[in-house]
Amino acid sequence: MERMAAFELRRPESLAHAIELMATVPGARVLAGGTDLVPNLRHGLEAPATLVDLSGVPGFAGLDLTPAGARIGAGVTLATLAADRLVQAALPAVAQAAASIAGPGHRSVATVGGNLCLDTRCVWYNQSEWWRRSNGYCLKRGGDVCHVAPQGGRCHAAFCGDLAPALIACGAQAELAGPEGSRTIAVEDLYRDDGRAHLALGSGEIVVAVVVPPQPARARSAYRKARVRAAIDFPLAGVAVRVTGDRERIERLDVALTGTNSRPFRLAETEAFAGRAVDDALVAELGKAVQRQAGPMRTSVTSSNWRRQVAATYAQRLVRELAATP
Amino acid sequence: MKTAVPAKSVGVRQPLVDGVEKVTGAARYTADLAPRGALFGAILRSPLPHARIRGIDVARARAMPGVRAVVTGEDCALPYGVIPIAQNEFPLARGKVRYRGEPVAAVAADDAATAQAALDAIELDLDPLPAYFDAASARAEGATLLHDDKRGNLERTVEQDFGDVDAGFAAAALVRERSFHYAEVHHAMMEPNATLAQWDAERGRLTLHSVTQVPYYLHLALARCLGLDASAIRVIKPCVGGGFGHRTETLNFEIVAAMLARAAGGTVRLELSREETFITHRGRPETDVRLKIGLAGNGEITAVEAEVVQRGGAYAGYGLVTILYAGALIHALYRVPASRYRGFRVYANTPPNGAMRGHGTVDVRHAFEALLDEMAVELGLDPFAVRRANLLTAPHRTINDLQVNSYGLAACLDAVEERSGWKTRKGRLARGRGLGMACSHYVSGSAKPVYWTGEPHAVIHLKLDFDCGVTVLTGASDIGQGSTTLIQQAVAEVLKLPMSRFSVVANDSTVTPKDNGSYSSRVSFMVGNAAIRAAEDLKRMLVAAAARRLEVTPDDIEWEGETCRVAGTDRELAYPEVVAEALKDAGTLNARGAWSTPPETQGGSFRGAAVGTSAGFSYAALVVEVEVDEDTGEVRVIDVWVAHDCGRAINPLSVEGQVQGSVWMGMGQALGEETEYGGGGLPLRANFLDYRFPTIAESPPIDVTIVEAPDPNGPFGAKEAGEGSLSAFLPALTSAIADAIGLRLFELPATPDRVYDAIVARRRAERVRRAVKAASQEAD
Repeated sequence: MERMAAFELRRPESLAHAIELMATVPGARVLAGGTDLVPNLRHGLEAPATLVDLSGVPGFAGLDLTPAGARIGAGVTLATLAADRLVQAALPAVAQAAASIAGPGHRSVATVGGNLCLDTRCVWYNQSEWWRRSNGYCLKRGGDVCHVAPQGGRCHAAFCGDLAPALIACGAQAELAGPEGSRTIAVEDLYRDDGRAHLALGSGEIVVAVVVPPQPARARSAYRKARVRAAIDFPLAGVAVRVTGDRERIERLDVALTGTNSRPFRLAETEAFAGRAVDDALVAELGKAVQRQAGPMRTSVTSSNWRRQVAATYAQRLVRELAATP
Repeated sequence: MKTAVPAKSVGVRQPLVDGVEKVTGAARYTADLAPRGALFGAILRSPLPHARIRGIDVARARAMPGVRAVVTGEDCALPYGVIPIAQNEFPLARGKVRYRGEPVAAVAADDAATAQAALDAIELDLDPLPAYFDAASARAEGATLLHDDKRGNLERTVEQDFGDVDAGFAAAALVRERSFHYAEVHHAMMEPNATLAQWDAERGRLTLHSVTQVPYYLHLALARCLGLDASAIRVIKPCVGGGFGHRTETLNFEIVAAMLARAAGGTVRLELSREETFITHRGRPETDVRLKIGLAGNGEITAVEAEVVQRGGAYAGYGLVTILYAGALIHALYRVPASRYRGFRVYANTPPNGAMRGHGTVDVRHAFEALLDEMAVELGLDPFAVRRANLLTAPHRTINDLQVNSYGLAACLDAVEERSGWKTRKGRLARGRGLGMACSHYVSGSAKPVYWTGEPHAVIHLKLDFDCGVTVLTGASDIGQGSTTLIQQAVAEVLKLPMSRFSVVANDSTVTPKDNGSYSSRVSFMVGNAAIRAAEDLKRMLVAAAARRLEVTPDDIEWEGETCRVAGTDRELAYPEVVAEALKDAGTLNARGAWSTPPETQGGSFRGAAVGTSAGFSYAALVVEVEVDEDTGEVRVIDVWVAHDCGRAINPLSVEGQVQGSVWMGMGQALGEETEYGGGGLPLRANFLDYRFPTIAESPPIDVTIVEAPDPNGPFGAKEAGEGSLSAFLPALTSAIADAIGLRLFELPATPDRVYDAIVARRRAERVRRAVKAASQEAD
């Protein structure tokens, strides 16, 4: 059995107390569902002395949908999010992304905040202590070489959360709280393109909630995830698309990707598609844009070329399907 | 007197007798058994794939408070291995390490953290050697030898020729040759490895619980490696969560646990992580097959030539049996008049391979069926017609001396052709959808045992006592496949008593008779036969008692289970009265039954002839329907129809489950499962995220037809049901993909990236072909 290092579990009963603990207890880590953190602890990837369990923070698991938009607490479970009829109707990409994550057991405890703050993943990193030690560790933890790209100076571990691209495509904002106060930023700005330090959170800062604005009239969204198995697996590539308009003329196109880079990201330069019909030319250009901007590296056991190709294909299919939906 | 109806147990859809405990969680597995105060064992594993051991310094570890024992290769000088002539593995490495993760030392400590700290305190002094991770580089000229006595890093070379192969090819209307590559696969059984070892220091006795499929072989290896008299050892197999061949030989951690318990003078629990369980390996080897088949114009096979190379990992294990199986079971499915087989089992610096469901046959069967399918198309024949052109007629002796006494393949073909709607649907599906079919077979136990002791293959003891209950004592290992239920059914059937009169006690070496274990699908056939004989033995005693009481001869007694009567009269005796009479004077009754394979099924006299022999062969035919996404290479299995000839379904419910499980496991190997070693021999996929067996989400409906071609040697006519239909899935799948998109795959698993690459390669080849054609037309 893989053993977990000992830790102290704290259960703050207010957000203020949680932030205080994060600010004052050295090496404290936030714990929500634990579905990402616990396997990583068992692998010895981290050994925090203190875990701060947020499940007792009032309102942390609140889910409110109003005409003014949605506010999804960071502690809302993925199962709750996936099953919510209002979310399914208003934010289909988000509901689909939530439903696609891991298995039912995981979703019943895994949370929105946890999925947004997933650690990045790499076949050279998500291994046991014995394994990584035998391999001289890696740039992400304990070593100075990235085994994916030994010549480069950066870590290429891939971000593999499914919710982020769906939220990005739907224009969501993240509410953060920390010792310096609260702030709200676009979900895409929560991330940096660095597998070793991919979260743009300040020291002790916590994701409190996600706020999704009302979706434009005539907007439709969807999420699709490439993987070998239809359950359990992390995305080898994941694509969220929001189409505003119809096949003859789209007003706006939002595309976001996950699983291919060290951060989830909004596809750039989609403004060029506004005002155009969804025809073969547009679909081909979109495919090229995805191929150009997605940068999968050899971080998984599945080939990076396939991940890039399938990301493009899924994006193309989603745009066609959504544009054809009345 | 009320007359009871004789109970019927065979052919009944009998839920497994231990099913309730399994589904409620009450069943106790090895890791559930550790008593309070048991020490925690842990293994230090080699960080290098190949190195000479200069020294192992355990002084610091041994001095740590809470550390109760530290052992190394110094503590066991005798190698072990399941094949008596190929024992070259030590529980803890001696002299050299030969794969990353090989155990080099072990500790027992008061708690898990101390055990880990002690491992960290052990200093290894290793001198690296060149390492090889594929068969070709291990075989290359000048490669460093893993084992000094094995030149060319070849563990075993097999050369077998039967019939006139060259004449066969010369007479063929069509000869084709293809090369195939198969990734290594692992059993991925649910329960990780664990052993509980208890050393009685006062008496010098060892009691060991383990996850084994072969308690008897484990018992022998423990006696050998610990230098103990076998009678000082007690081996118990509790509930086991699957095996699929991983546990058909003694594994290093089992001996290590015993060494630690003795060194610590107490009880040690040794529980491996999933990664360590993967590293213990014993799965199906990475395999290359070059296959050549000759067919007559009507589809009849004229000759077969096969070359098989298996990367067997660092130690012998079952290796020589695997490479022999790969050649032997080219036969006994179809009529093959001539064959030439070359097999090469190669040592490499990867964890040792071993037996896995469909042992040795699966990859070669894929190659064979896939090439047959391709050639059928070329000859303008339906895939079913090609198979029907090559059917055997039982009894049949193959050219390599395998004895086929029953053969239900024709009925299997009819069943899946009908149920899949093959005749009306094949070739008429939309592009992207396809149907494929294939056949397979397997042994019902090896007719020659691994250890030739002269003892029967199987023994069953029965105990009948004052309570009128019959206790069945067996060494057969139920590892989830349902053997305990089947044995109980067999005994109950003969005695015509209800199942509730019986209980089974299994796998405690101090109580139960020796059994060779659960492998090569031997238990239903061999232990089933022994159970019938034991029940007949007991029945004779009971009939004699009834005759005594009724003052007639035993021939006058009609045995009906809960009652018996004097034939032609209404003079009856209830079962409890018979038991009371039988126990008078004698007391508790013991009955026994034993069974061995008939000599004519034990094969020929050439070298390696024992492997592949069986007293009964099962047969299967299978159709798969797939959907292939040509843009992404994703393959979805829509439906599976399978027919399996198990001779006689003793428990149809269990047969269906076993056949579905076989198909599902074949699907795993076909679609996504593979181990992979990167970064110099590190296992990249030693977890259930990257080792991608199918989940229920992509599992198709599996339509099972049970075909019953009774075997004259089988218990009630039964043959095996748990392996034979596995290997048909792989070729049926690739043929279905070929039907869907016209693309033949020569490498498995058919992961989406592999299929995508093959599609891209084909497009590129077509473009080149068109360009060349256009250029040549221009030139004209």
